[in-house]
Amino acid sequence: MSSAPQKPSSQPLGHQLAAGTSTCAGCGALQGIRLVHDILDSKVFFVNAAGCMTLLSIYPFTPFAGAWLYTSMASAAAGGQGVRDALDIMLAGKRLPPQEDMQVVVLSGDGSAGGMGLSATSGAMDRNLDFIYLCYDNEGYGNTGYQLSAATPHGARTTTSTSGNPGYKKELFDIWTAHKPAYAATICGAEPGDLRKKVETLKGIKGPRLLLALSPCPTAWHFEPADTITLGKLAVACGLWPLKEYKEGRLVHTKVPKKTGRRPQVEEYLRLQGRYRHLFAPRRNDRVISEIQNRVDRYWEKVTDEG
Amino acid sequence: MYRIRFHGRGGQGMKTASRILGTALFLEGFEVQDAPRYGAERRGAPMFAYVRAHHKPINERGIISRPALVVVSDDSLLAMAAAGVTNGLTAATLLAVCTTRPSSFYDHHDDLKGQLILFRPPASVNGHSQLSSCCAGAAAALLGIISPANLAAAVARELDALPPERIRVNQQAAATVFRRLTENGAFVREGADQVRVKRPHWLTLALDSAALAAPAIHAAATTLRMDTGLWRSQRPEIDFDTCTCCGLCNIYCPDGAISLGDNGCPAIDYQHCKGCLICLNQCPTGAISARPEAAAHETDEVEA
Repeated sequence: MSSAPQKPSSQPLGHQLAAGTSTCAGCGALQGIRLVHDILDSKVFFVNAAGCMTLLSIYPFTPFAGAWLYTSMASAAAGGQGVRDALDIMLAGKRLPPQEDMQVVVLSGDGSAGGMGLSATSGAMDRNLDFIYLCYDNEGYGNTGYQLSAATPHGARTTTSTSGNPGYKKELFDIWTAHKPAYAATICGAEPGDLRKKVETLKGIKGPRLLLALSPCPTAWHFEPADTITLGKLAVACGLWPLKEYKEGRLVHTKVPKKTGRRPQVEEYLRLQGRYRHLFAPRRNDRVISEIQNRVDRYWEKVTDEG
Repeated sequence: MYRIRFHGRGGQGMKTASRILGTALFLEGFEVQDAPRYGAERRGAPMFAYVRAHHKPINERGIISRPALVVVSDDSLLAMAAAGVTNGLTAATLLAVCTTRPSSFYDHHDDLKGQLILFRPPASVNGHSQLSSCCAGAAAALLGIISPANLAAAVARELDALPPERIRVNQQAAATVFRRLTENGAFVREGADQVRVKRPHWLTLALDSAALAAPAIHAAATTLRMDTGLWRSQRPEIDFDTCTCCGLCNIYCPDGAISLGDNGCPAIDYQHCKGCLICLNQCPTGAISARPEAAAHETDEVEA
């Protein structure tokens, strides 16, 4: 191996999260969270709902330089309210200098975000809580061996939907925007440019803000850990994971995939994952594959109609 | 009662091995328990699964602390205290290790109690290792109470989601190691029916103080002390003749195990790199290659 050449200093991302956490090799959630944290910078107070990211901090180890509070699955947004209130009281009493104020970030998986944590989240939005809600969506209960969650997509096999999910993915983004929050966006760590713009935007906004991150999971979706980024990019390119942003009451798609017929078929994405293997072997299930494709095509037809 | 523990890394199939062995024992007419240790499922991280078999209903629960047989799918786990491979081993325990190393390598492992039995991993077929079937076959042979026919049937039953050809290859892998280890003549001795526990007269469950029940960590970035690099089976290496220092690997590495130096060029932190190889897959100039960790390790030793 040759030695590293000299190059004029570029701007490297400083790593806010230390290495050495025990998430799976190739964890798509950790990769997305890392990028978000790097852009938010160091003054972040994470309120973590139980989930895969429980693994981030196992006593006495933590990857954080800032603060982290652990809550039950249902109460992370309520925990966020408590932390925000405490910070505000300390600021008002001049016990915390304004430059040491922190962003409150609720960190939760899709199981908590779209299921048992939804009530506390809805309440926090009612109260216009100034916080960021970062949901790493790996489309199932990953930490306990991948059971069906409300965010599991149609047809995907989990340990509690062994012949494929008969239901459909719950649209957490739509549930959020129905509350008319200050900001909401979908992101994916495999699209770092789009992610960076959105996190930079939300930094300057106050109020409830959602970041919904598609988080490919090699362990649960059954693919090689090396393919985590490949799958994230493909999910966006084939139209299955729309990148969008809701701001000042307006919805904008930030990266529109190519037109129907010219973009990759969803099949390309599905085939790379063991959780869809039953759609291809022993017999091909055309009905489900084309249903998934048609739903994606219909989604993007509507987007073009609205201009 | 027979008590067996399988040790491996997440993704190597030791949960499946325990299921195959459990099913084979069930087909032999035993009452059976098989379970992985409940925990966060992480690829590459140490895990274990266990099997109990008895000719009477099994009332014992929980992990096995005194195994009669331990099967290890990954020889690197022996050196990892956290993997707990040697927990509860006695002189009567059989310790079967899947390894490509010569037996002389294990001569200086003074702390290995029990009788050591080595077997080789099966050759991979079309990129698939038959490690779970192989380890189940090894356990079946060493128990000496499972017929080859029931072993084959158990493999087929537990792997029924796979194409027939792969089931056949797995059955062969199980049968091969089964034959070889049966010739060995070492068999597991059945453990006591019950683990005797002295019943306490009175138990006081004190309430933990908040400091214990919800502990706080005051130091920053202590995970750096975790050597997650030990999970790695493939080592990514950067060829700086081809690397353009674009920094994409730094952005895509989930673990933050790639940093950019003052010159803007990437460096891999092998103490923490888990070997997912996202960097290799995403490098636009193909400057990153992978070497099996065992081979890379040997080069390290020579260079040291």
